[in-house]
Amino acid sequence: MKKPVIITFLLLLSVGVFSQKSNDTIISNNPQNLKLKVYYFHITNRCNTCFSIEKYVRQTIDNNFASQLELGIVDLYVLNCELPENRDLVKKYEAYGATLAITSFVSGKEDKSEDLTGWAFKKVHEPDIFISELKSKIDESLK
Amino acid sequence: MKKLSALKSLTLVIIVLLFLGCNQANKKSDEQVATDTLAKVEQKSIDSLPVTDTTDKKDVVEQKKDLPKVLVYNFHITNRCVSCIAIEKATTKTLNTYFSAELKQGRVKQYILNVDEDKNADIAEKYQAFGSGLYVTRVFKGKETTTDMTGDGFKFAKNKEEKFIEILKNKITEYLK
Repeated sequence: MKKPVIITFLLLLSVGVFSQKSNDTIISNNPQNLKLKVYYFHITNRCNTCFSIEKYVRQTIDNNFASQLELGIVDLYVLNCELPENRDLVKKYEAYGATLAITSFVSGKEDKSEDLTGWAFKKVHEPDIFISELKSKIDESLK
Repeated sequence: MKKLSALKSLTLVIIVLLFLGCNQANKKSDEQVATDTLAKVEQKSIDSLPVTDTTDKKDVVEQKKDLPKVLVYNFHITNRCVSCIAIEKATTKTLNTYFSAELKQGRVKQYILNVDEDKNADIAEKYQAFGSGLYVTRVFKGKETTTDMTGDGFKFAKNKEEKFIEILKNKITEYLK
């Protein structure tokens, strides 16, 4: 008699639990070669603009820096800023919502960071410009 | 006996599903109310859009007073995300908390505009607002200076509202000088 009720509640509970699952992307292949980390933070309930920014960031890297990514010269982090495991990075980059940031490294040590969030939201509606300008920014950081 | 038990179980599942369905319907109804409220605010804002309300009389008053004016634009699309709604909410809170006098004087104005609507096409084009956007414009002696605060909005408004309010408050205070 009570079985269907229990099953229904268990089903609903499982939906809630699985929706919290992390989909973070971390590509970090060789810390010794590291020159640049690219971070994109997002919240759990994402909008189209947020998805687009991630898409163009990935396109920029895949089409122009694939070998650097493979060699560990460039790292890519796509992180949910609402997950507890990302708390420290969120605090460091003040990434409490959608945030795009790059950090350069010299001889394994952190050098400069640049917050590109404002720029990203401005350029996201012009994908070609977004990709070309982000490429330039990454090129500049890798010099 | 078994049949009866199975029938009872089935009825119970249907009741649970119906209950869940009703909750969803109520939720939708709330969303509709919220949208309607926003629409009213929007309509009110549009009525006083600077693009349409720049009368000679107002210009004369403006020149006479010789004080900068600040226009705050919250652009959004029809299907809004949580961040977009949070930006508008935090913007309104900032204005009501820190600039209520300036709002009454007309020195600070807030416009909440849907970029998907034809009537807002010109102003959206002017600000290059194709989706959610927050722009703060200083108008003084016929000159306009604008800061795009969309990035700050998306970074802070939802999960760090106090930080967003501080940034926006500082910008408006600076622009009012």
